[in-house]
Amino acid sequence: MAIVLRTEGLTKRFGKLLAVDGLDIEVHEGEVFGFLGPNGAGKTTTLRLLCALVAPSGGGAEVAGLRLGRDDARIRASVGILTEHPGLYERLSAADNLRFFAALYGLSGREMEARVERYLELMGLGAQRDIPVATFSRGMKQKMAIARAALHEPRILFLDEPTTGLDPDAARTVRDLIVSLAKEGRTVFLCTHNLDEADRLCDRIAFFRRSVIRIDTPDRLRAELYGRTVEVRVVPSPRPDHLARVRCVEGVREAWLENGSILVRTDDPLRTDPALVRALVDAGAEVAFVTERRVSLEDVYLKVVHGAAEAR
Amino acid sequence: MSAVAARATRRTIVTSVCAREWRETLGNKLLVGMTLFPPIVILAAGILAVYAAALYPPSEKDVQALYASAPAAAGLDPREAVQGFIATYFLVLFMLIPTVVPLTIAIYSVIGEKSARTLEPLLATPVGVGELLLAKSIASTIPAVIVTWIAYAIYLASVLALGSPAAVHAVTAPRWILAVIVMVPLLTALSVNLGILISTRVNDIRVAQQIGGLVVVPVVALGIAQVTGRVVINNESFIRTAIVLVVVDTVVFVAARLAFQRENILSRWR
Repeated sequence: MAIVLRTEGLTKRFGKLLAVDGLDIEVHEGEVFGFLGPNGAGKTTTLRLLCALVAPSGGGAEVAGLRLGRDDARIRASVGILTEHPGLYERLSAADNLRFFAALYGLSGREMEARVERYLELMGLGAQRDIPVATFSRGMKQKMAIARAALHEPRILFLDEPTTGLDPDAARTVRDLIVSLAKEGRTVFLCTHNLDEADRLCDRIAFFRRSVIRIDTPDRLRAELYGRTVEVRVVPSPRPDHLARVRCVEGVREAWLENGSILVRTDDPLRTDPALVRALVDAGAEVAFVTERRVSLEDVYLKVVHGAAEAR
Repeated sequence: MSAVAARATRRTIVTSVCAREWRETLGNKLLVGMTLFPPIVILAAGILAVYAAALYPPSEKDVQALYASAPAAAGLDPREAVQGFIATYFLVLFMLIPTVVPLTIAIYSVIGEKSARTLEPLLATPVGVGELLLAKSIASTIPAVIVTWIAYAIYLASVLALGSPAAVHAVTAPRWILAVIVMVPLLTALSVNLGILISTRVNDIRVAQQIGGLVVVPVVALGIAQVTGRVVINNESFIRTAIVLVVVDTVVFVAARLAFQRENILSRWR
């Protein structure tokens, strides 16, 4: 996959405050890239840097094949950004808000009308097209802002907390849009605190605090940090000798008891699980089920971010 | 998949920004009221004053005071002189309309967008800051010029209907008509660009209005000096004043452009 965004030591200072410190990332075309970090980590500043809204203090970046600092207006034409606040013209209707921005992106005539209709429908706002935005709920405004960011069909869409304040229906609409944009080959750069959402949507994730701490696919991050955990349910309950037998099975890195189950950390459950079951049956255990327990991205996030903080 | 979105032409940017600003302005009753109140008051006061001067002859004391303060009126019939003086005095007040009306619109145009947090999405488009300011400047200038011209036209018609020949002569003097045609847009542009410049540095609409209100001081001073004969604006000084205004307008616009930086707006305006 082609690289659509590359930064090299991208740095931003505001006076004495170092907001972004030597950021090095590569993002591919058609990828949903998660950008996760605590509040104040510099995520919004990074987005503004990559959208050519603020100038870097050091380093550089290539965005959609264009050089930051040299092709800023063209970069802004090639990317879309959902800002922290929807920032809509409240007295204008939904369609007029989008028409205004469509005109600034050089759209006109039928093409403009078709885009406005398409994105209003995609966001489920077709029926409200002629209603002033001032009457919209927070969630509707957020969907409008996403429609505005995607309207000119940018190569890279930067979304800052896109589902914040949305009800489950609206959040699903937004997630569906992100998936469909990625399928069209557009890149989505997603900043979110919703780790479940990031886990479901993102091809790769960067944990960030002023600079990238860790970057990989969610599954590889899990495997690297926690290995894979298998839960073996033994009825009526596991005995200490069962645990001892499990610990002797080849491929088991660690095993412990938890809530009436034996939990086993292993690198390759497909090879280890049959041997585990065999060892327990040989020890006289009744195995009710064996299942892989998925470590949440929240656990991974906390381990990475707190680990990085402690290392400082 | 389009690699880079097409770039809007300057004309598209200006027409889109103007259309949006005007719709937003018309939807803001407070802003419409604040915009129309000064011209309505000046117009009504002017018409009433000329009408009253036609109905009630001035006292000898008033006439002597007028001759003393406006030597140009000496020799005229007292009633004529008073009407002419009043008609001219209100023409000076008409020059305040282009300084007061657009200032409010221009300040709302920038600080209003800032407080509604609509500036960031706007600045994220490929539109240049200079183009954006030019469009905002035009969007504030055009309504103020039209309002002033309409108010002047109504005043002119009223004086023609109610006033003495001296009053009619005063308001139809070529220099005043030229002043309304040429100076009104120049003063409006000055007020607008000053409003935008102030808005880049101030976050509060009221503070911006108070600072911007200072622009009326030289206009009032010059106008009073002209009416009372202290300063005689002849053709040469008129052209000189127009040229100075063009230069000042340009300087203030460039200063506003330099002060209106994407990064400062996004990182410091909170």
